[in-house]
Amino acid sequence: MTAVIQTVRLSKWYGNVLGLNNVSLEIEPGITGLLGPNGAGKSTFMKLLTGQLKPNIGEVLIWGKPVWNHCRHLSKIGFCSEQDAFYEEISGWEFLTGLLSLQGFTPAAAGARAEEALAIVELAQDKDRKIRGYSRGMRQRIKFAQAIAHDPDLLVLDEPLSGLDPLGKRKIIRLIKDYKMRGKTVLVSSHVLPEIEAMTSDIILIHQGRILAKGDIHYIRDLIESHPHVISIKCGNVRGLAAEFVRAGFVRKLDFGPDDDTLTVETHDRDAFFGRLPAVLLENGIQVEEISSPDDNLQAVFDYLVGK
Amino acid sequence: MSSNRGTKLALLGRTFRRVFSFFFFLGRRSRKTKVFYVMSGLPVAMAAVIKINQMTAGTGRDVVNSVFVDILMMFYLQFLIIILALFYGTSICSEEIEGRTLHYLTTRPLMKSGIILGKYGAYSLLLSLMVLPSLFCSYFVLNAGRLDRAAVYLAFLRYAGVMVLGILGYLAFFAFLGTALRRPILIGLAFGFGWETVLQYFPGSTQRFSVVHYLKSLLPRYSPGRFSLLTFRLEPTDPLISVIMVLLISAAFIGLACLAFSLKEYISAD
Repeated sequence: MTAVIQTVRLSKWYGNVLGLNNVSLEIEPGITGLLGPNGAGKSTFMKLLTGQLKPNIGEVLIWGKPVWNHCRHLSKIGFCSEQDAFYEEISGWEFLTGLLSLQGFTPAAAGARAEEALAIVELAQDKDRKIRGYSRGMRQRIKFAQAIAHDPDLLVLDEPLSGLDPLGKRKIIRLIKDYKMRGKTVLVSSHVLPEIEAMTSDIILIHQGRILAKGDIHYIRDLIESHPHVISIKCGNVRGLAAEFVRAGFVRKLDFGPDDDTLTVETHDRDAFFGRLPAVLLENGIQVEEISSPDDNLQAVFDYLVGK
Repeated sequence: MSSNRGTKLALLGRTFRRVFSFFFFLGRRSRKTKVFYVMSGLPVAMAAVIKINQMTAGTGRDVVNSVFVDILMMFYLQFLIIILALFYGTSICSEEIEGRTLHYLTTRPLMKSGIILGKYGAYSLLLSLMVLPSLFCSYFVLNAGRLDRAAVYLAFLRYAGVMVLGILGYLAFFAFLGTALRRPILIGLAFGFGWETVLQYFPGSTQRFSVVHYLKSLLPRYSPGRFSLLTFRLEPTDPLISVIMVLLISAAFIGLACLAFSLKEYISAD
């Protein structure tokens, strides 16, 4: 399959800060997830792909052509920024038709496409309201609409699900999957693994400006499974709870909080722990106030991967 | 080679047209425009006060043009146009960066120089539409009772032309400041109200290093009377050369703005 996006030894830095470091990869049609913690270089990578930034070293090729200062190639690219920024004084309809006219559509064609995009993101009824008055979810959807309104072949979405409620997230995920079904290429970034997992199994892991891995999401899942998990339980009888788990083979470490009201458990088999926990709590009549996983995030997995 | 240049020019033209119409529309909608539109009505009020004063004091009609040039045109050229051009010119680039909306433009098939030219064109028209009605009203308030003379209308066209040239020149300069500097307003203020004002008091050719010198050279000159204000040291340049100079200044600075915008990366704080 021909690569839509190709980067060759791509590097970008801001002063002394390294944004992206020697990235060479190819991205093919379909949905590709760009996964990494905040500050990993996802946005920098996407800005380089969409011609907003100029590489310091290396090059970006989209359909075999460079993008920096080659604006004609941008007509087939749709970009949805992570930033919540709009021309606030105009309505959603005016925003979309205006951007479509910048894309080169006639007023009639821009109107028809804006209508279609608004219907897709379910904002048709609110199209005449000023963007200033839109809710966070509506703003996220109108941002998505402007990225797809001109029917681009490549869609670059930077954290499109951030700030959305679960229903809103589900809608956007469905839209992205629909887009892929039409034979398009989608590159979507997130720092939340389950969000990416809901959209695609093809992922690129990025951390501190470097590509750590590229491939199937099951690889990441396996890494997570082999990574010790830390689970914190706040309850009334932490020592009774600890006594129940001290003999369990999947528990590697137990630690008590300073006020003796929190038990921190380190396990290498998260599923086994959570499988056993409800029964232990019921049998001992332990009231739980809070369960949290301090390291149940991508940063912990990345720290683990890079050997911190 | 020439066909490649032709294609680029065609793309530049298309970009200009698209950006111009979008930002002319956005500009009309903005709160800033509404505020400045009200502000540009100030000279009309000033003209009305002067006219009432003239009528009650019985001042002769001959001083009408002198008043207009000395007071109102100075207000327009040395205050209103500079303020408007400063805020709109610097915002051509900085409003996109500060508002974090630049990617809506730079991720579309638009030439970067065309983006600057399109916004410059849109804001030039917008400022002209703000200033010219005000100029029209203030001029005709002062000239009420002389409207049967063709010379009155010809003089108005001259004033309007000076105003448009002033908008083009200052807007281009401030557009350049906005694209080249991170904080252009302070330097713009220092230029508009420092450099442009102080240089007029310098004798000889030094004052030719200001835009306002060429604009004032295009105004009719009346004998210094009690309304003479900030013009007594003017050593005028030939009107044709003045027009050419202002157009050259405009072209040079808008060209530099296009160049800076095409070469620079604008990194907004995430």
